[in-house]
Amino acid sequence: MERRCVSPLSRIHEEGGKVYLQMEMPGVKKDNVNVSIEDNQLRINAPRHEEEVQGNYIVRERNCADFEKVFTIDNSIDRNSIDASLVEGVLTITLQFKEEVKPRKIKIRG
Amino acid sequence: MDLVRWNQRGNLNPMDEFDRLQEEINKLFNLDYQSSGIFDRTASPAVDVIEKDDSVVVRCDMPGVKKDNLDLSLARNILTIKGEKESEDHENESKNYRNETWSGIFQRTISLPDSVDPEKVEASLRDGVLELVIGKREEVKPRQIDVKVS
Repeated sequence: MERRCVSPLSRIHEEGGKVYLQMEMPGVKKDNVNVSIEDNQLRINAPRHEEEVQGNYIVRERNCADFEKVFTIDNSIDRNSIDASLVEGVLTITLQFKEEVKPRKIKIRG
Repeated sequence: MDLVRWNQRGNLNPMDEFDRLQEEINKLFNLDYQSSGIFDRTASPAVDVIEKDDSVVVRCDMPGVKKDNLDLSLARNILTIKGEKESEDHENESKNYRNETWSGIFQRTISLPDSVDPEKVEASLRDGVLELVIGKREEVKPRQIDVKVS
């Protein structure tokens, strides 16, 4: 049976010329995160292998589904400088713009 | 006589209204992400409480919460989880495109089974999941009694 997937809560923001994609993924281990890029689709898949506690559940509110999210990125993003880190259950993907789309200062001669 | 442009959209078309309604409904059911409303679980973190024979395990999702910002207390069998998720917003410098995450102060109080022992608590925060293992008092643990048959 295919495991259920949910889309992680995310935050997308731009700061200092970089774009940060942050996703909340509690319970996901670093080694289980798969980030792949195909054409203009950035796919993040993170299975949540959590050891089940054997016992009687008194309260069960947590959703233990896997995380999956697909972002569409345009051509201004440099495909070769994508960086990802997972800290305290928050996955941060850093995207950088290509050199040619960065605003450039033109010096005036004279 | 002035020529008045025939307005295709403006002409009352009852079907347009249905389309609009359909869109609204679609929006309502677009559960692509959990909304972060005031009654949402994000503001009071989701917990699991599991009772085992010799202990009670509490698991709580708290992505992005630092260890130092967590305050746990156990008074008899009442567990209180307090904490703060710091906002990473640097006001002027960053430009937000989309934000579904929540930050701020949260608190959750749970009453655990009476049999827990407040002296035997172990807490760990790993990968954004808080796990508490609270032992049970000796006298309430189920004990096996051997019956000798002579």
